[in-house]
Formats: sequence, C-alpha cells, structure tokens
Amino acid sequence: MSDGRTSGRPPGRTVARLLAVAAVLWAAALALQAARDQRYPALDVESDLLYLRAGPTLPRLALGFDGLLADLYWIRAIQHYGDTRLSTKPDKQYRLLYPLLDLVTTLDPRFTVAYRFGAIFLAEPYPDGPGRADLAIGLLERGLRADPARWQYAQDAGFVYYWWAQDYKAAAAWFDRAARIEGAPWWLRSMAASTLAQGGDRRSSRQLWRQLYETAEHEWVKNNAQLKLMQLDALDGMDALAGLVRRYTTDTGRFPDSWAALGALGWLREIPTDPSGTAFVLDRSQPGGVAVAPSSPLYPIPAAFTKKAGPTS
Amino acid sequence: MARVIGLVAYHVFKESVRDKVLYNLVLFAILLIAASYLIGQMTAGQDVKIIKDLGLAASSVFGLFMAVFIGVGLVWKEVDRRSVYNLLVKPIRRHEFIIGKFLGLAGTLLVNLAVMAAALYVVLALMAWRQPALVKASVDAPVLDSGLLVAFFLLYVQLLVVTSVAICFSTFSSPMLSAAFTVGLYVVGHFNADLAHFEHVVDSPAAAWLAKALYYLLPNLAPFDVKMAVVHGQAVPALFVLFTAGYGVLYAAAMITLAALIFSRRDFK
Amino acid sequence: MVALETEHLTKDYAVGFWRPRPYRALDDLTLRIESNEVFGFLGPNGAGKTTTLKLLTQLIYPTSGRISIFGRSPGDPEVRRRIGFLPEAPYFYDYLTAEELLAYFGGLFGLRGQACRARAAQLLDRVGIGGERRLPLRKFSKGMLQRVGLAQAILNQPDIVFLDEPMSGLDPLGRRDVRALILELRDRGCTVFFSSHILSDAEALCSRVGIIVGGQLVTAGSLSDILAFDVSGWEIVVADLDPAVLDDFTGRVRRATRISDRRYALEAPAQTEPERLVADLRARGGRFISLNPIRSTLEDFFVQQVAARRAQSPAGRFMPEG
Repeated sequence: MSDGRTSGRPPGRTVARLLAVAAVLWAAALALQAARDQRYPALDVESDLLYLRAGPTLPRLALGFDGLLADLYWIRAIQHYGDTRLSTKPDKQYRLLYPLLDLVTTLDPRFTVAYRFGAIFLAEPYPDGPGRADLAIGLLERGLRADPARWQYAQDAGFVYYWWAQDYKAAAAWFDRAARIEGAPWWLRSMAASTLAQGGDRRSSRQLWRQLYETAEHEWVKNNAQLKLMQLDALDGMDALAGLVRRYTTDTGRFPDSWAALGALGWLREIPTDPSGTAFVLDRSQPGGVAVAPSSPLYPIPAAFTKKAGPTS
Repeated sequence: MARVIGLVAYHVFKESVRDKVLYNLVLFAILLIAASYLIGQMTAGQDVKIIKDLGLAASSVFGLFMAVFIGVGLVWKEVDRRSVYNLLVKPIRRHEFIIGKFLGLAGTLLVNLAVMAAALYVVLALMAWRQPALVKASVDAPVLDSGLLVAFFLLYVQLLVVTSVAICFSTFSSPMLSAAFTVGLYVVGHFNADLAHFEHVVDSPAAAWLAKALYYLLPNLAPFDVKMAVVHGQAVPALFVLFTAGYGVLYAAAMITLAALIFSRRDFK
Repeated sequence: MVALETEHLTKDYAVGFWRPRPYRALDDLTLRIESNEVFGFLGPNGAGKTTTLKLLTQLIYPTSGRISIFGRSPGDPEVRRRIGFLPEAPYFYDYLTAEELLAYFGGLFGLRGQACRARAAQLLDRVGIGGERRLPLRKFSKGMLQRVGLAQAILNQPDIVFLDEPMSGLDPLGRRDVRALILELRDRGCTVFFSSHILSDAEALCSRVGIIVGGQLVTAGSLSDILAFDVSGWEIVVADLDPAVLDDFTGRVRRATRISDRRYALEAPAQTEPERLVADLRARGGRFISLNPIRSTLEDFFVQQVAARRAQSPAGRFMPEG
C-alpha cells in the first residue's frame, strides 16, 4: 500500500490543529468582548432598569424564580455600588442603587442583607453614597412590614435618624421600638435613653458605633463602624491639637504655618497623625484650625460628628 | 471546497423552504406583528412603542425557535436516518458538511428575520400614515426608525451563536438533549455577565473561580439585546455593534470548528 | 492491478456504558480484490458484512489494520471520485425529487447544469424509474428507493462500486434487473464488491466469493475452488407409483419424499446407476418424470461453515476484558 497514511481516524496532529483554531477563535472573541466592555460598560445594567420597575406584579412575572432573580439583582446592586465608588469620575450619583435594592426587596421581601446594606449606604453622602437618608428609612420601614420580628431594621433606622438626619428624638423613638421587639439585645433600651438625653455628643456616638461594630453580622458593617470609630478618635485628637493651636495663636499673634512651629516650642515631639497614620493638617478655615488631611482614609469627617452635643427637638 | 459547502447550504435552505411547519411559523409571526397594530389602537399614546416591542420580541422568539429546533436536528437527523451515508461517500469532507449546514441555516434565518422585519416596518408605516400627529407627539424614537435594523442585526448575530451551539450538540447528541442544552445555554448566556461578579457574593473561592471560568467559556448573549435602547430612541454606538457582532461571529466560528472536529472523528454505526 | 486490498483489518466497538467491553465486529480481515472482478461478500446476518463496507467507505474508522483502494486511503478525495456506494435499505431526503437528488450528488462530483440533469435523467431511466423522477422521494416505495440508490451509486461512472445487499426490497423482476446491471458494470471494466446473504445471486454473478462468519473471513476464492462439483446423489421424480412397490426399493433409495398421490421424489446415492433405477421403476409401473444430479451447493457449504464456526467459539465475539 503506497499511501503512507493509515485509514484510521484523523491523526492527532489534525485534532490538535483544529483545537488550536477553535481556541484562537474563542480567544479573539473574548478579546473583542473585553474591548467592548471597556468602552461601553454601563450598557447592560441600565437597559434592564429603564424598563423594569419594582411593583406588586413583578414577583408574579418572575414565574417562580423570584428568589433567584433577587439574588441576581443583589449581585448587580453590589457591583453598581462598588463600581461607582471606585470610579474616577467626579460625578458619582449611585443612581441605580435604590432602584436595584428596591427590586431585590420587592422580589424577596425577606432579603435581610439588602435592607441593611441600603440602611448604611443609601444614607451615606457623596462621595461614598447617594446621601438619601429618606430612601434608607423607606426601605427599612418596608422591611419591618414584611418581617416585624427583625429588630435590626428598627435599630438601623434609629442609626440613620441619629447619624444623618440628626433627629435625636426620632432616633430615640426607633431605638425604643427596636428594644420592644422580642429577641432584641438589652443595650437598645439604654441606647434609647441616652440618645434622648445627650444625643449628638461624642460619647454616645462612640457607644452607638461600638455596639454596631461588635454585633455586626457582615464584614462591611464592621468595617464601616470601625471607620466611624476611628473618625471619632481623630476628632478627639483634633480637639487636643486645636487647644495647642489656640495657645500659639494667642501667644504669637499669628496662626502657625506648620507643625514644626509648634514642635520648635517643644509642644510636639513629632508630627501628629490621625488613627489611620496620616498626618493632620493645619487649616485656617476650620473652627479649631486643625483638619484631617484629604489624603486620609478618614476624610471627610461627617458633619454629624462635629456638631455640638445637647438634646434637640 | 466552496462549491461543495454551497451545495450543502443550498439544500438546507431548500429543505426549510419546502417545510410546511416553517411556513406556518413565519406566517404566525407575521400575523402577530399585524395584530399588534390592532393592539396599538387600544392604548392611546404608547402604541408605537408597543408595536415595536411586540415585533422585536416576536422576531426574537421565533428566531430562537427556528435556530434551536432546526439546528439540533440538522446533523442528527441525517445521521439517524442514515441519509448521511450517501453524502459522505461522495467527494465531500466532513468539515465541509458541517460548515455547509451552518451556512444553510444562517441563510434561512436571515431570510426569515428579513421577512419579519419587513412586516414590522409595514405595520409601522401604516401607523405613521394613519395617525401622524398623534404618533409623533408621544414617542422617543421616530416611527420608521432605522435603529430597529440595528436591533435586528444584533439579534441575527445572536441567533448565529445559538445556531452554532445547537449544531455542535447535534453532532453527538439527540435532538431532545441538544435542544435542552442549547436553550439552557441561551438562558445562562443572558446572565453571563453576572457570573463574572459572583466572587463578590460567594464565600468559597472554588465557586467564584468556577463562575469566572464559566463566564469566559459560555456565550455572553445579553449585549446583543438592544431592543430596549432602540425602542427608546437611544443611539447604539457603531463601535459597540461592531465589537459585539465580531464577538458573536468569532464565537460561532469557534463552535463550528469544534463541531467539525467532533464530526470528523465519528463512527457512523 | 489491485483494486482493493485490506490487511489485518479489525474493528472493535465498545459496548456498554459503565464498563464498556470491546465487541469485535470484524477480526483480522485480509483480502485482495483485482480490478474488474465481481466479488461476492457472503455471510449470515450480523457477520460483519456491513461493518466491512462501512470501513471500506470510511464511514467508520478501523481499530487496526489498513485499507487501500487503488493504492490510496479510502478517505482520499481522489478515491472518492472513483467510488460508488449503495448502503443497505437506503434513505434519502424526503423533500427532494429523485431528479433533484441526483442533481445534488452530481454537483458534488463537479457536474453542472444541463449535463448534470441529463445524466440524472439517463440514470433514472436505466434503473427503471424514469417516469417517477419528478416525484418527491417521500412517495417512493422501498423497491423504488433501492433503484434510486443504485442510480446514485453509479452516477460518477465509478471504477469500483460497493453494494450492500443490492437485491433487498426488490421483486424478482427487480432482482433480474440488478443482476443485469452488475454484469453490465463488469463488462464496462468496473470492479463490483457486493455483500449478500442470498447465495443464488452469488452463484450467478461472482467470479470470486468471500464468506464471513462471526466477524472472521472463513474462506475466499473462486467458486469452483470452494465447491467440489462432484455429484453427491441423484434425484428421480416418478409418478403413478404404488406405495407397495416403493417398499421394494428401500435398499436402493436413500430417501423418498411424497409430492402428491402416487407421485414421489426419490433420492439415490451417487454410486447408483441412475438409468438402471429408472428402468426398474418403469418396469414396476412408475411413470418417469425427471432425473437430476444432486451437487453440493454454495448453500450447503455455507451452512456447514457457519455451524463449524459456531461450534468453535460459542462465547461469541466479546473480547476478554482488560
């Protein structure tokens, strides 16, 4: 038989060649997709939401897959938050955060983590969130209607009022309501009382955040609380430094131009840093003359912290 | 080679033309689109949008149906009924057979989609002619929008991807199983982008890794669906269309290569 | 010139899903077929005839061994141009007419347009269904499909045709036509390789035969080599014979079969002088009808070979595991 090839299957090298061709084609396809995604990232999520509004008919439309769809939109909600927060664009609107969380909780009214995520991050002001405390409260109220035994929602609502709205009376009322729910921890009652008495001062704030830190169920809740605690500590440090700046200004008649000036007088041993390790800055425009550096992870300190303490109506 | 492929493709097309079932399907699709005109009469203001939505949706569903149900049988039927014996002993290579089948179905889909697109435009033209003022006041996009063609084009490329998957399954699996897998992949393909983000919500790194692998392996079909944007008059960037279509064509080519490989190694018992 | 040659051709199938056992469909087939032969490939059902044909046309791939057709591999496109194949119980495309089918296949060979259509029409006439050429194939009977199959097998004027059970589904007229076609092909210089389990066809047509049983080639050669053409007995048909008279002939007659009232077929051993026996029967009142020598036929040989082979390997063709 003159033909060197056997009459068997296509030889191994043909198989390898075809597989290589398929792999190259597939890789090229993925490359094109990556190029497209880089230029036009938003096109997919937006198109859904242009059309899909949460409403009572939505779970029925989901044909029994509402749980799965809720998970899907939860993933997208987190993705949207993360992408927006990390993006370098100056205009961070977090436009889709509430609609997405709304969708998730409509499809699955017991999707606890979505409510709690919304409680924290919907209320966060620019640049870390859309700054919509009202939406956060609305979401939590819905959550309580669906799941009245979930005291955490009431506690979170209390936080939002305390923190972002600075409405201490309302906050106390929410903490009280939370305390009455069976299974709620003991300290909520005392929290309600202290909020009413001294809402707004640093000590009760610190107590609040510490409680949240210790009882946190999720990593990001813990991290958020820890950040707030560090900011409170920073404020303590700033108060002490403000005292020094005041003395200097009174003594020399002018505002210190650097920390070295204070160091020269022997009042400081080293450049003062905030709890994150970043140096404080001298800032004439600030009330105490001291501020947290913009490069610090603690920047900006929320206005709620710097407000004076005292019961308010 | 091209001649042989052309012959196989031509006969796939010929079979679809002579297939009564297909005729009825296309007819139904056209009727549906025509009926949307009546539906549009009932809802003041939003009728153009509804007609476009319905027309695009019907084309999408029927197109998918055709791609899957013809595709999964294309190779399997010939093998099962042994008509493939006569064909393969002629001067035709096995991969020419597969490519020919794919191109034949691609041609069939093109013609059917064109017919449905034409029907839609006819209905829209009728609307524009009958009630010009009312219509123009209330819509985001022009009634006879060329943007619709973009939606149809991307729908076509998407169906090519589905077809290539169906044919690939058809080379080794029965029509029932192939249809199930292909439809399954179509559904997963719409949520493909979310697979990439799984790692943010699952704890196990193995699951996240698997999700990422699936994201790359499975077709990403959601971007082909620009119906929403087109109906609302949003411009779809040309480069987006180019990249997306390119992705689809290359992915389909990869699947067909795989199908040719599987087919060329088969025994026909 | 050698048209077809196989060397130790073997095909195993894996049977079973969880622990597949190899089933040997064809075992070590070595054959050599010269140009312009008519070769009959005979064997009982399931012997491996169709497997062999599929291997030769590369519809399946061998487990081991080699095939050479005109010196090339069966997958070679040059070889494909010179081959014709008729599968067993062929099936074509419902939606095409006979003419369109042949035009399709003709196109694959490079025939075009008018020449292609003319050839299609001519072939369909040749196989006897010229009148039905515009009919869709879904309306064709089994016999008509067989004829279409033959037509497409010789469409390209092949140098070698492979026919799998070419007579199946045909009535006696059809079978006679096919026989004539095969002889015509031979006269034109074509090599014919056909498989069958109908032995009389082989006897009538073949220059050589091969007999395959249980996946193995038992014998191959010209008919005259295989069969001894000795007379093994005589058959005498007598009428008007008295049963009592028959008893007297018991010693000389091996077997007596009653055909009807007083009409018998008598079988006498080879050594008998048949003329003497006939004369004696007539003397006793019988009326002589016919006298025929009994020769060993292909069928006898066949049955004997199959039985021998089956006795040899009762376990069948499953290979030992591992």
